[in-house]
Amino acid sequence: MNVDIKHVAKLARLKIDDSELSRYESEMSDIIGMVESMPDIDDEWLVDENNAMELRKDELSDDKLSREQILKNAPKVVAGCVVVPKTVD
Amino acid sequence: MKLYEYKAYEQSEMLKKGEISARELTESYFERIDEVESKVDAYITLNRENALLSADDVDKKRASGEALDKLAGIPIGIKDNISTDGIKTTCASKMLENYEPVFNATVVNKLKSKGAVITGKLNMDEFAMGSSTENSYFKKTKNPFDLDCVPGGSSGGSAAAVAACEASLALGSDTGGSIRQPASLCGVVGLKPTYGSVSRYGLVAFASSLDQIGPFGRCVKDVALLQDAIAGHDKMDATSVKMDHASTFDSLTGDVSGLRIGIPKEYFGSGVNDDVKASVMQSVEELVKKGAVIKEISLPSTDYALSAYYIIACAEASSNLARFDGVKYGYRCDKPKSLIDMYERTRSEGFGREVKRRIILGTFVLSSGYYDAYYKKAKLLQLRIKDEFNRAFEGVDVIATPTSPFEAFKIGEKVGDPLSMYSADICTVTVNIAGLPAVSVPCGYSKNGLPYGMQLIGRHFDEKTILNAAYAHEMCFGVFKAPKL
Repeated sequence: MNVDIKHVAKLARLKIDDSELSRYESEMSDIIGMVESMPDIDDEWLVDENNAMELRKDELSDDKLSREQILKNAPKVVAGCVVVPKTVD
Repeated sequence: MKLYEYKAYEQSEMLKKGEISARELTESYFERIDEVESKVDAYITLNRENALLSADDVDKKRASGEALDKLAGIPIGIKDNISTDGIKTTCASKMLENYEPVFNATVVNKLKSKGAVITGKLNMDEFAMGSSTENSYFKKTKNPFDLDCVPGGSSGGSAAAVAACEASLALGSDTGGSIRQPASLCGVVGLKPTYGSVSRYGLVAFASSLDQIGPFGRCVKDVALLQDAIAGHDKMDATSVKMDHASTFDSLTGDVSGLRIGIPKEYFGSGVNDDVKASVMQSVEELVKKGAVIKEISLPSTDYALSAYYIIACAEASSNLARFDGVKYGYRCDKPKSLIDMYERTRSEGFGREVKRRIILGTFVLSSGYYDAYYKKAKLLQLRIKDEFNRAFEGVDVIATPTSPFEAFKIGEKVGDPLSMYSADICTVTVNIAGLPAVSVPCGYSKNGLPYGMQLIGRHFDEKTILNAAYAHEMCFGVFKAPKL
């Protein structure tokens, strides 16, 4: 089975060069070939309906991090704000 | 004998008795690092000055008569995907090359509060994706037993540092075998704890339903010592379980009389090297001589586990790694033309090939039209694998298998062939899929002098039984034999 690498890469916000495309296609087709060997399973009974994930309750915490610390790793900061390219024309 | 050659639990005793100081011990490790690191390349970042300060702090506290933890003054290396406040945490990726966390992972806070000394951050496959540590953006770590060979992965730096005595202990992370497989290839002991027993707060996520932090050491006692220090509930990790964790270190007796050892035939198939199988079985026979009993068992879905693993792990990775977009932290491409251009170029330039391959696979199996055929099937297979383990554990106490199907391979040998590389994980992925604990212990050497590992799998939260079985094995097999470097 062939995977449309360009389409999937776009969904994942990746840019794959044309020169690399065939390598990705052939590797992905090998991997899909391997995983296609999985058997069909009608074990829906294995799904335990009562075992829903327990979510943590939202709670306020005393965040000790300062604005300066939080912005320390940002690639571009102006006046205490993260700068990104224009999003709305 | 040099100080760095002693086991961590011995160093702990020596420190307690005042025979050595924490500074002497830490200096001994940094001298060792100066001597061999250029050959092994285990570290991405060294924490020399801070390490010596922490050691001095321990010495001061001890001099003032304060009661200290067993880990006080013990030099420990940390895998570079575990957050350390003020020390770069790169995940061996260009994406996080300059990222310096502003908080500690819970495990790091625990170690620091016990007075452990952090030696530095250890190399790994980028974002923990790989089985050889060749996917690191920065360097290739070498196997201390043969510098032309890989140390395994993804926690290859952790395994190599412990094997080369560049750290007394180390922390790694294990999503599909990333602690056990490098431990096996480097001749050390590595434990993947039960899912939920150790907090992952501050671990950079790869596949959140499988990821687990765990310890490396040069003997079973050392691994138990570190496991005891990191286990326990943490409200910052919603998957960590509230329960008492009794000391595994104090429970090690080496008594295996009556222990029922399951041997699953599926783990001794054609994909596993014959010498590896023979050395695992020989080790099991030794345990039988000490009173254990063997029981043949079957885990029929094992053959499909690798497929289920790569689907689940990559699906989760494609979602987890969406956060690396060049906005708030990490790498950002040069002069982005638009927001989309910034996302795409940042991610394409910041991630390496294996990471991109897995994001593409994960995005594909979750995409419309393919979800049922791949992801849902894999999740059902996961339930079946869990069920098979649960049934097996009704009749046995531990399950013994090879850890890696082969000895350490040459650098470059498998890196161009993803499927061949993925096959390194065939014996280890099931454990993550089922959330079980498993330990890898050295159990033999190939004709090339490279270590083999035996994997002992246990019931959920029963680290005690597998570590005790591993300890009994170690008493027969002998402890760590240091490679010549």
